[in-house]
Amino acid sequence: MNRPTQKYLPCNLSLSLLLFLCAFVALLAGCAASPAKQEGMIPATFETVGKHSKTVSVSVQGGRESKLSDPNQISNEAFTQALVDSITKSQMFSSVIQGKGADYLLTVTLFDLKQPSFGLTYTVKMEAGWTLQRADNGTVVWQESIKSEHTATFSDAFVALTRRRLATEGAVRDNIAKGLAKISQLKL
Amino acid sequence: MKIIVSLSMFKKLIPTLLLLGALLLASGCAINRATALQTPGTDLSKVKVFYVVKSPEDNREVDKLIKDQLGKMGFTATSGPEMPPPYKADAVVIYKDKWMWDITMYMLELTITFKNPTNNFPMARGNSFHTSLTRKSPAEMVEEVLTNIFNSSKQVSTKGGTQ
Repeated sequence: MNRPTQKYLPCNLSLSLLLFLCAFVALLAGCAASPAKQEGMIPATFETVGKHSKTVSVSVQGGRESKLSDPNQISNEAFTQALVDSITKSQMFSSVIQGKGADYLLTVTLFDLKQPSFGLTYTVKMEAGWTLQRADNGTVVWQESIKSEHTATFSDAFVALTRRRLATEGAVRDNIAKGLAKISQLKL
Repeated sequence: MKIIVSLSMFKKLIPTLLLLGALLLASGCAINRATALQTPGTDLSKVKVFYVVKSPEDNREVDKLIKDQLGKMGFTATSGPEMPPPYKADAVVIYKDKWMWDITMYMLELTITFKNPTNNFPMARGNSFHTSLTRKSPAEMVEEVLTNIFNSSKQVSTKGGTQ
């Protein structure tokens, strides 16, 4: 006996195959969103003047999740993790504290992200507001807007979406490197 | 004969293709997004006078809509071209509008940023994104973004999603 849906399906296409196709489409949509990856946002080297013996907690705001209609975005979670890993790697602060209990609070606010839609060469530009506060009384000890950019060329990646993601990750990497370089110059 | 078989197969595939197409479209057809945030140390209750910087790409007078809405909200607002800081205002307003065509042109996305008048540091930002099915008029978009900015606390406030 034919099921009601069977008459709408091609002869060899079963309902289970159709469900598999739907899952595949959903998966494809997720892949095409291609969010900026945390590991690509960590600078390889740091140009720091000094290091601080204090502890810090980190938060990022202004990022957003990638979607099929809005790919290559920077999520708050990925940016935060990249920032934590960068501080740990550079030993800028003695340690990064999750939650309360740190000496300083570092907040990075992603304000502007310019990503081209087409092109062989992708140059992504971003602006982030960096704020360092004392945790005990909230006093702002340093605040600066940092602009950065990165260009990914055809030789970096053949697929345009990947090229744009690499350019986005490079812009964040550059921003983190500049931000930490500025913090290293502070006398805390 | 082969062509006839292929056409027959294609006809049978149509409902399946339509279903898969609908699945793809469903993720992008009716999206609402409205976010607003303030940077630490920002106190918008102290901001009374705004200067709206007219975007060079704006030929729809969105700057006037922002200025008028700020006026309705009880603030003093003027608009004009970008100038070297410091501005004679408590905050500088910059914006980015994105338009799309679907039967008629509509405002797809609006981002408004308040900046410090002396050092250009971003103080607050609001963004609204409405696709065609949930489109709003430019004046409503401006009102939504500004209201969300003033209602936002220090932390990120996000609402909306896919409908």
